[in-house]
Amino acid sequence: MLSVTDLRAGYGAINILWDVSLRFPLGQLTAIIGPNGAGKTTLLRAIMGLIPVTLGDVTLDSYSLRGRNTWDMAGMGLALIPEGRMVFADMSVEDNLAMGAFPKPHRPALARNLERVFGLFPRLHERRRQLAGSLSGGEAQMLALGRGLMSEPRLLLIDEPSLGLAPVIVHEIFAILRGLKEQGVTIVLVEQNTHMALAVADSVYLMRSGRVLLNERAAAVDSQRLHDLYFAREG
Amino acid sequence: MAELILQALYSGLLNGGVYALMAIGLALSFGTMRVINLAHGELVLLAAYMAYVVESRLDLSPLAAIPLAMAVACAGSALVYLLVARIRKNRELNSLMLSFAIGIIITNAVLLIWSGDIHSTGSVSLQEAVQLGSLYSMRSELYGFLASLVLVTLLWQWLAKSWYGRAVRAVSSQRDAAKLMGINPAKTELISFLVAGLLAGCAGVALYSSSVIQPSLGHALTVKAFIITVLAGVGSVPGVLAASVLLGITEALTVTLWSSAVQELAGMLLFLLVLFVLPNGLFGAARRRA
Ligand SMILES: Nc1ncnc2c1ncn2[C@@H]1O[C@H](COP(=O)(O)OP(=O)(O)OP(=O)(O)O)[C@@H](O)[C@H]1O
Ligand SMILES: [Mg+2]
Repeated sequence: MLSVTDLRAGYGAINILWDVSLRFPLGQLTAIIGPNGAGKTTLLRAIMGLIPVTLGDVTLDSYSLRGRNTWDMAGMGLALIPEGRMVFADMSVEDNLAMGAFPKPHRPALARNLERVFGLFPRLHERRRQLAGSLSGGEAQMLALGRGLMSEPRLLLIDEPSLGLAPVIVHEIFAILRGLKEQGVTIVLVEQNTHMALAVADSVYLMRSGRVLLNERAAAVDSQRLHDLYFAREG
Repeated sequence: MAELILQALYSGLLNGGVYALMAIGLALSFGTMRVINLAHGELVLLAAYMAYVVESRLDLSPLAAIPLAMAVACAGSALVYLLVARIRKNRELNSLMLSFAIGIIITNAVLLIWSGDIHSTGSVSLQEAVQLGSLYSMRSELYGFLASLVLVTLLWQWLAKSWYGRAVRAVSSQRDAAKLMGINPAKTELISFLVAGLLAGCAGVALYSSSVIQPSLGHALTVKAFIITVLAGVGSVPGVLAASVLLGITEALTVTLWSSAVQELAGMLLFLLVLFVLPNGLFGAARRRA
């Protein structure tokens, strides 16, 4: 289980997360929803060590991740598909995917994982020699997701995969997330698309202004209450 | 007249190969770390002095100095990296000051140790004229050009195929995403500086073998490498090669048609002209569309 306990983090002098605690049970898909600026991306970045943690802890199976280097996370089975895709624009699709298998232990499985990712996203196979910077938004999201899967993570954190994409592609991506969950991958999904998120999630967190306002099983969520909390005024 | 111009084109082409060795190193370290190493030309010059030392003290061919020159330039490049990496605030600006200062220190150290005299190789075989059709060059110029082509090709392949070569490009392109892939950016940056040092070492030996060196040359070399990097539009190896040849040819034509006194000025004018017409560099924009 991935646990976040009383986590405080932010950017320099600006604190964003105010002692948030979340638990992500193994094999489950946990959704984090919340309005713009709630601190969802900040939370994922803090978990991955991309920004420093001021207080609290992040643990994976009771092993602390706090203060660890981001580049050691892949080796521990964690992958973050970042907000805005962050593909390597002037490298080919295939090289982007290969970089997902950069840590030495993952390199021997490169060919097998390439085949697996191309199986999930045939469109990436068609475009494997193309520069990543020339892909459409949907293709770039597929590439970002595929690149994250190249290290066979057991824990996948995904930040707003549906952002700016046509419904068809969003459905495609959610179907793949469902499939990954069936294979036993633990998934943390940050989404603005509440409907889609609730449909695939086991449980859901609602964040606003750097705090957790609600944690429920997805099936038990009262959508009116969720709506009220989501759009309520500050204070 | 036509023959003179052809000859100038040929000499410029050969010079351009060596310029590419210098400029690619500068472009590499700029790509990974967003830092312009203003001591890069001085490192090339230091490597050239290693060739001078080996030839004058050990009575060997300057080519025998290649390992020593590479080691010295690598060590210098790594030192610049380690110092720059310690800068926490305003790294882009402060690193300019820092590397500029290192360049001045190197220049003065060279002046103290080897005096202000000019030096060039005494090797007869390196200076021998080689004829290609109606075109002439020194054997060392031809060697230097061919060696540059080989090294530039190797570097290109390294960037395209190897794990760390691709990591260099990944860090240049998306630093945070590279970290998420398991790439340690600090290690990657150090590698890019070491590779820059290797190339600077070879460039130094080529420089000593085919022209004259003196302590103040380092600064001019840094300026040339900088001009080429900007002309090329950061990030493309063939672009750097083409921009290097363009600079080499411009300089050679200036010397032939005008005067060697304005050779450096011609490079600067080329620089301003290209930037005025193509703000992204010769290859920057084209590459983005590709
Ligand atoms: N690099 C940064 N420096 C300073 N403040 C930042 C930085 N990045 C984000 N913030 C601030 O942190 C707060 C939380 O941002 P964050 O990106 O975590 O929100 P989010 O919940 O992911 O929102 P969205 O749904 O819009 O992506 C915002 O107020 C934002 O302005
Ligand atoms: Mg966000």
